Amino acid sequence: MKNNIIWGLTALFLSVATGCKKDKITPANAETDTVILKIEHSWQDSLAFALNTDLINPLTNDTLNFVTFKYYISNIRLKKADGSWWTQPNSYFLLDLSEGTTPSVPLAGVPKGEYTAVEYVLGVDSTRNVSGAQDGALSPSLGMFWSWNSGYIMLKAEGTSPNAGMGSFTFHLGGFSGANNIVTKRSHNFGSNSLSVTGNGNCEIRLSAAPETLWATSGSVSGNSMIHMPGTGAKTMADDFYASFAFKQIYE
Amino acid sequence: MNKRILQLPAALLAGSLLLSSCGKEKVEAIKKWGFRSPDYFPAPAYNFENNQQTYAKFNLGRMLFYDPMLSSDGMVSCASCHAQSHAFAGHNTALSPGVNNLVGTRNSPGIFNMAWSPAFMWDGGINHIEVMPIAPLTNPVEMNETLANIVAKLQQSDKYKKLFKEAYGKDEITDQKVLKAFAQYLAMLISDNSKYDQVKRGEATFTEAEQQGYALFQQKCSQCHTEPLFTDHSYRNNGLDQNFQDEGRFLITQQESDRGKFKVPSLRNVALTYPYMHDGRYFTLNDVLNHYNNGIQHSATLDPSLENGIPLPGNEKTLLIAFLKTLSDYELMNNTWLAEPKQ
Repeated sequence: MKNNIIWGLTALFLSVATGCKKDKITPANAETDTVILKIEHSWQDSLAFALNTDLINPLTNDTLNFVTFKYYISNIRLKKADGSWWTQPNSYFLLDLSEGTTPSVPLAGVPKGEYTAVEYVLGVDSTRNVSGAQDGALSPSLGMFWSWNSGYIMLKAEGTSPNAGMGSFTFHLGGFSGANNIVTKRSHNFGSNSLSVTGNGNCEIRLSAAPETLWATSGSVSGNSMIHMPGTGAKTMADDFYASFAFKQIYE
Repeated sequence: MNKRILQLPAALLAGSLLLSSCGKEKVEAIKKWGFRSPDYFPAPAYNFENNQQTYAKFNLGRMLFYDPMLSSDGMVSCASCHAQSHAFAGHNTALSPGVNNLVGTRNSPGIFNMAWSPAFMWDGGINHIEVMPIAPLTNPVEMNETLANIVAKLQQSDKYKKLFKEAYGKDEITDQKVLKAFAQYLAMLISDNSKYDQVKRGEATFTEAEQQGYALFQQKCSQCHTEPLFTDHSYRNNGLDQNFQDEGRFLITQQESDRGKFKVPSLRNVALTYPYMHDGRYFTLNDVLNHYNNGIQHSATLDPSLENGIPLPGNEKTLLIAFLKTLSDYELMNNTWLAEPKQ
């Protein structure tokens, strides 16, 4: 009974809406497309970054064998040629490089048109750190939430290294407030080649990032092989890695 | 008219009829289990934003709170260390046993009036009531379980599939739904019917000794144990030690100025929730008052207000204790809405 009433009201609403604005009723998929944001992870300027493989860090000469490399990207926006923005709703993604070192982030529902820039946040904005139980990519069951000191682990890099005193390294980077805030907004202009979303399903924005830069300032894992809370150590490593994100090219 | 309405006291029923006469058909807002904020309390920190209160969610939260299945060995529930008979604190032990009888390092506090608390735990490390349960559920010396495993166990249970369907419309179970149901129950652990509250509302009067104790309390204790919640939610070093075995708030903030500081606990139900302090070192209220009177240990982060202790000459301790006993809330401990559900 209740359902019938709801359907009835919905139908009534839709018919009124149709009467007022015909263009809004056009099926959504004809006006939008899914754009893929892809992030390559390089090592020593090539695509050699891999998990479960001995890698020499050119910045520290450490031998690192990654078991885990995960991080959050969120709040993705695309800038239209007219200067306005398309903002992805509920835009939170946990990139797990054990599932591939060039992860794809789908941006569904992007309206057709010309786009000149992409903007995103590395980490999880402070609001979602203080707003209680979240779901999806932000579920606390994913091992990326500190239970005893509320907040997201925004980047997890774990593995083994003969250079580390204990033979292993564990870097859990997070922090969303004050001097320990590692949440970083990045944006890239596409330059002379704008992105044309035409509905052909082939649009891709390609970025690159360099995991070796985590240690650019903090140095060898022989000096520090473990971070498990917000602080200056986490801030230094996250800032260096986040600065390595660069725009590569557009595919259409 | 359904059965629940028939159970309501006549006054509430009259209220509901009044509402219906104004054109509202629902009586949800005045059900006895619904959230309430006494007019002399500050605004609650939790307002059920994105977690609208319903009886089905509250009831699911209550089932989860009392269910030892949520622990790794099936022996420990939330209520094991937060017993209604003890104002939702531990069973009068300094430390409370978790799975395999393991113990942690801190005393299990009474978890009432959480809806008014901006942060949780002795060190204030947890910032929201909805994520609070994650810590005891997953701590290896408490319930030692993972959220994913808890969800998997609940999915195996026809009882919980039914309860989640009643609460959320679908029998799909997620950790977010578990945590939001917990918050619905925890926010309902409201302590607002002690003798102190009844006096506040003009329903009772203090004895001579209680009244004198109250005056002393306002003069010597209420700067930190601020009425009506009896805490100002700050973190302070109250002079227990010169060197800290447990560095308290420092573990969260890494600030030197926070070494050895702990949350000022509420004094509601204090006569019922011994032993006292973050590690349960004092067994009687008299021990606690002796500490403030002549036991303060000096260190760099000692609270400035305790530099010279709190002198309590003559019968002042006796009078203070008479007042502190008026903070016991027996209704909280006997409220059947909050009690362990019948299986």
